[in-house]
Amino acid sequence: MSLRDQVAIAGIGCTEYSKDSGVSTLTLASRAIMAALEDAGLDADAVDGVATFRVGDSVLPAVLTQALGVRDPRWYLDQFGGGSVSHAIIGQAALAIHAGIADTVVCYRALNARSEFRMGGTGRPLVDAVETQYQAPYGYFVPPQQFAMAARAHMEKYGTTEEQLGRVAVQQRANAVLNERAMMREPISLDDYAAARWVVEPFRLFDCCLETDGAVALVLTSAERARDLKKPPVLISGAAWGGGQTLYSNQQPDTTRSAAADVAPRLFEMAGVGPGDIDVAQLYDCLTYSVLVQLEDYGFCAKGEGGAFVESGATARDGTLPVNTHGGFLSEGYVHGLNHVYECVSQLRGEAGARQIEGAAVGLSTAQPGYIAGNASALVLRSAP
Amino acid sequence: MSDVFLPWAPTPDRDSQPWWDALATGEFRLQRCSACSALRWPARAICNRCRSFEAEWQRQDGAGTVASWVRTHQPFAPALLEVVPYRVVQVRLDVQDDLLLIGGWGSDREPVFGEAVELEIVAGAEGFCVPCWGPVRP
Repeated sequence: MSLRDQVAIAGIGCTEYSKDSGVSTLTLASRAIMAALEDAGLDADAVDGVATFRVGDSVLPAVLTQALGVRDPRWYLDQFGGGSVSHAIIGQAALAIHAGIADTVVCYRALNARSEFRMGGTGRPLVDAVETQYQAPYGYFVPPQQFAMAARAHMEKYGTTEEQLGRVAVQQRANAVLNERAMMREPISLDDYAAARWVVEPFRLFDCCLETDGAVALVLTSAERARDLKKPPVLISGAAWGGGQTLYSNQQPDTTRSAAADVAPRLFEMAGVGPGDIDVAQLYDCLTYSVLVQLEDYGFCAKGEGGAFVESGATARDGTLPVNTHGGFLSEGYVHGLNHVYECVSQLRGEAGARQIEGAAVGLSTAQPGYIAGNASALVLRSAP
Repeated sequence: MSDVFLPWAPTPDRDSQPWWDALATGEFRLQRCSACSALRWPARAICNRCRSFEAEWQRQDGAGTVASWVRTHQPFAPALLEVVPYRVVQVRLDVQDDLLLIGGWGSDREPVFGEAVELEIVAGAEGFCVPCWGPVRP
């Protein structure tokens, strides 16, 4: 039986997002998980599965389950990886529930990505999923550089402009103004964007996401059980992950094509919807370019037209496809993918307050589209009818 | 190509050691599959096209074209403070279009997308020699 609509997200929780949490990743994870369980109306004793992903920068899930008093986790996943696998762990948790291995799984990510383990700025590469030996000798070792390389190729091949990148940042900041959780709530203009300092050409300051301390947790259970819980269930209609081509696979001559293009067809097939059915999209935005390439590779516009699509206003909150309605990683904070799922669920429940997109019933939430590890992952979520 | 910025030494692994050893002797070598003739890089024991384990290291001239480039302004590590901004290129080798390598850029001017470039092996950190590229000299 298909996984479509069989498993629900029944609870969501998060911590404050900050530059210095002052606490351990164990504490951050515990806070987010307890908040998510309270949101679902469940006790921690209900938890029998746990899933996370890490790059050596967060608490061991075994330590976490002990801290929470989960005596016998029947199913667990401690996935090595970065943002690419952020949505894959949720898909895998859904499989475990669907298979009857676990009843209630908590998916979480906790990181002190500013105050403890920075992904750039420490002088050491964090993720050894890349072939560091072929990059570090040139002073090339952090995600902004790796995405800038792809963005430049896209600009050259398709005529994508710096202003189009800037519009992504400006639109998302406008969304963050309405978001009480967002770390950056001052509006910015295209002039502000263009005046900001270079980080890695063609990226300026506002092209880059916010190094963040924080955690997000999600409680998954069967759709049937979720109906009896506190909050309206949000169903996992589609879950897909995969891809795997990188610079080092000798099978990907075009760096302007991302792994999202591999994942999208099977994602939409499982969900039984197409790009035109998506009411709201939370697209992984570690850098502005990531949004543009995913608009293309998830099929919202033709290849090469992501920049023009954003420029048309389609992705603004009053457009046909509101994107990153919380401000995204660029303006809300960077919880490595899971704050996108949090926002998607909030929108589909109609709980997004001033940010609410009227009538949002089907949402897309996506992981990093594969520019470092090669793989991507994504979810199609919908309000339970 | 004296101005290429090369701050750190690579950490070779058991598969890549022959690549680094060849560079140290001034040779740019790639593996060619003995069964299907496909070139591959980085070094691997098995061909991902035909799955043969048989391969030989072949000397190549490293000629290619600029596939992309970036210019880093933010000093992401203390060692970079004095040298930012600096450029890094991505080069597509002429011999096979899915061979894309990162390298140092050996010119003061901006790279041009698609321009022909030539290889120069440059001494980097800790005695390692690394491939860099620059405009084709007349």
